[in-house]
Amino acid sequence: MSRRNLRAADIRVFSEAVRDFFAATTSESAEVRSAYVLEGDEAILWNDYNGLIEVDGGFSGCIAFSAPRGLLSHVLLRMGDQEFSDANHCDIVGEIANILSGSARRHFGEGLRISTPTALPGRGPCVPRPADRTAYAIPLRWNGYEADLVINLESCG
Amino acid sequence: MKLLIVDDSMVMRNHIARLSSDGSLPEVEIVGLAANGRDAVAQARRRGPDCITMDLTMPEMDGEACIGELARLLPRARILVVSALSDKATALRAIRRGAHGFVHKPFTEEQLRQALRELMS
Repeated sequence: MSRRNLRAADIRVFSEAVRDFFAATTSESAEVRSAYVLEGDEAILWNDYNGLIEVDGGFSGCIAFSAPRGLLSHVLLRMGDQEFSDANHCDIVGEIANILSGSARRHFGEGLRISTPTALPGRGPCVPRPADRTAYAIPLRWNGYEADLVINLESCG
Repeated sequence: MKLLIVDDSMVMRNHIARLSSDGSLPEVEIVGLAANGRDAVAQARRRGPDCITMDLTMPEMDGEACIGELARLLPRARILVVSALSDKATALRAIRRGAHGFVHKPFTEEQLRQALRELMS
């Protein structure tokens, strides 16, 4: 994999991955809005549950899916789950991050190594962001809930 | 057909179990759910599954290593990889180690059922 910074086409891959996840898993499309750059010290993670995948190999950083409890409860319900525990909410937010990272790997190539997901419950700036790294947020709306995919990657080259 | 489901996500294990046992695949009997490769190998020894769904990114023993172990342990078992890691190189490696099919996450209910039908046919 060549080493370079993220381009618009790279960001689009993530937007499409979000659409694919909700369409395939819940049979209901998500409205995915335009990506924007996170400015200054804006937190990378800030919602009820945060699924985090660490990435290295060509690009390094993390990919995170950050969502309110209600959204994840409804995803669980659509998957036929009847148990709305903290453990299941952490599990599904991590699995969504994992699935979105898989799309990144298909796009960037197998040189991109992705970790098993870490689920972080609770609001707050959970992940420090280097000041010189550009992070992107892709906001989405599904079933009346707002959530965000955050891409915090930079080329290792 | 005895089915073992292997995935580090409990929600995903249960999801696959529900889709496999809702009556649309009457020949399927779920004999185990495993959260990592080591647990999968241990359960496979005890329960002798005919079919296995296999995640790839898992702690302790990952899916690729587990496929190799299971292919040696149960050479007649059919292994369906169900993973977000569905790039071509990963799929080829899994097939070389002994997998028989590949479904990429996210999947629709029908995509998973169809893949299981093909695996069992």
